[in-house]
Amino acid sequence: MTRPWLRSVSLARINLRAASLLIPRSDRANWMAEWSAELHHLCRAAPDEIAGSPQCDPLEFSFGAFHDAFWIRYDLLRSAGLPMLRSGSAARSGLILATTALAALLLCLVLPGARKALLWLPYRHSADLVMISSCGYASTQSPSIALADYQEWTTDTAALFTQISFYRLTIKGVHTAHHAAARLSMAQASDNLLRLLDLPDSRNVMPPAAPGEARLVLSRTAWRTLYRGDPHLVGRTADIDGQPVLIAGIIPDGDWRLAGKIDAVLLEDQHALAALPSRTRGFVIARIRNSAFPPPRGGWRKMVETRDEVTRSFDCISVPHLLGQPSFVFLFALLMASLALPATTALPLGDYPRRRDHLPRIVNARRWGFLIAKFTLVLLIVDLCSTDLAYGFCAGDPVTALYIQLATAFPALLFGFRWTLQDQRKRCPECLRLLSNPARVGQASCNFLSWNGTELFCASGHGLLHIPELPTSWFSTQRWLCLDSSWRCLFAERPSPHPEMV
Amino acid sequence: MPVDARLSHTAAMILQAIHAGHIYGFSVMQMTGLPSGTVYPAMRRLERHGLIVSKWEQQAIADAEQRPPRKYYRLTRTGRATLDAAYERYPLLEKMIPSPEMERA
Repeated sequence: MTRPWLRSVSLARINLRAASLLIPRSDRANWMAEWSAELHHLCRAAPDEIAGSPQCDPLEFSFGAFHDAFWIRYDLLRSAGLPMLRSGSAARSGLILATTALAALLLCLVLPGARKALLWLPYRHSADLVMISSCGYASTQSPSIALADYQEWTTDTAALFTQISFYRLTIKGVHTAHHAAARLSMAQASDNLLRLLDLPDSRNVMPPAAPGEARLVLSRTAWRTLYRGDPHLVGRTADIDGQPVLIAGIIPDGDWRLAGKIDAVLLEDQHALAALPSRTRGFVIARIRNSAFPPPRGGWRKMVETRDEVTRSFDCISVPHLLGQPSFVFLFALLMASLALPATTALPLGDYPRRRDHLPRIVNARRWGFLIAKFTLVLLIVDLCSTDLAYGFCAGDPVTALYIQLATAFPALLFGFRWTLQDQRKRCPECLRLLSNPARVGQASCNFLSWNGTELFCASGHGLLHIPELPTSWFSTQRWLCLDSSWRCLFAERPSPHPEMV
Repeated sequence: MPVDARLSHTAAMILQAIHAGHIYGFSVMQMTGLPSGTVYPAMRRLERHGLIVSKWEQQAIADAEQRPPRKYYRLTRTGRATLDAAYERYPLLEKMIPSPEMERA
């Protein structure tokens, strides 16, 4: 037998073991024995018959075991009856919505861009953190501040800012003694940047061994890919475009939330930065002094500077506000969808009896609880899915991502809310199952003033729903008619007269 | 299960394969062309409905041949009757997987 063949047999055995874990414990040994025996015979038969036959491939066979496990579980659930999960039941709808929300959440956590947008800011005391830009939000994603301006501000703005830091995005070649060379995208920054951001892991970053020494802080992904997760890397020296640099630490990928996608941060002192051309453009981050400059309300505040009789203005944009924009965009989409909803469907849920003996308070509470749960789950699903789509799949420019999120969240919320209301109107208020067997009553053309419309009934016999064809002043909306328990025998669900399809 | 049970085409093929002497899961797969994920659960359902029965091969036989024991399947009387009824619904079934009687004929 060839080596790939043996490898696929071994993998098939592992798959079978994994699939057996999905089988109920009481049947697990039996299934495992049957699969193993069949795999053994398949392997004996296969070398002659494998050509082009998927059934003879051990791996294909082992993947079928997962299918077996699924159907065994499905059959068990079906044979158990699970009345809660009957078709059209509230539990089933809730389960489907909750599963969708969970899947969207898992996807969000798996996709790096979406995870960043979802998680809280890692920066401590972020309320007084601002990004200075030359032209509002429009220039927060591209470098807009000249190095010369930043250098002026380090001395001139002590009354406004407690700390101020500069970085620019660049690509540099990294060489190490033992590892291959690679080109990394870096944030070439003033040496106080990580301290200013107050990252949880910034305290683990080594201080410079000598004054003015440049330090390199790698992202965890770069550390894994470039240095294969070497645990003794911190403290060594790397060569960056001919310059020896101390590798000072490793930070999680999610800690970098500022503009630009980077593999590492190169921290340099003011003298090293001064070697760059003064017109070099970059980003400036600062911590504002609360006594002189209250935190920017509404996200931003103007800063006016007059130099050489020329007045220029800059915007101090709150970093939490800037990075929390997905939430604001979603809230805006929610507001728009709420305003547009009455134009797409009627808001009233219909007339339901208010007498306590007809619909007890607990039944009403359950009905409203179900409606609120559906609205909440729809909100959650749309929020997570639009985040997945905008930041996970279409990641790149955050401004484009905001537009994608708005464009997807608004129609999805509108459709979701509309479905929620329509679904609620079609449910029995007592058991919350979907009503069935619609029957048209009356003919509008024959008796215009008589009632005509559609009647649906609850399969459990709780009542009938009358939906008028033409809303009138005396019958404007759908009306629920409760039936007492004496009617139940007519509506009691019976097993299907057809024998089960094997 | 009644003899006039509604048998899906997949289930009828599996019954016919077992009837034709392909009594192991793998040989049923080979004969019908169905994947493993379909054949085994279907056979379990057929067994639950009393159309087939399964039995583990004796350990001594397997030990003598230095291999794991296999589970084999055979049709019950009800299964045979159900299969006969299924021929009317699926007339090509016997031609697709010829049974020993048909081959002799």
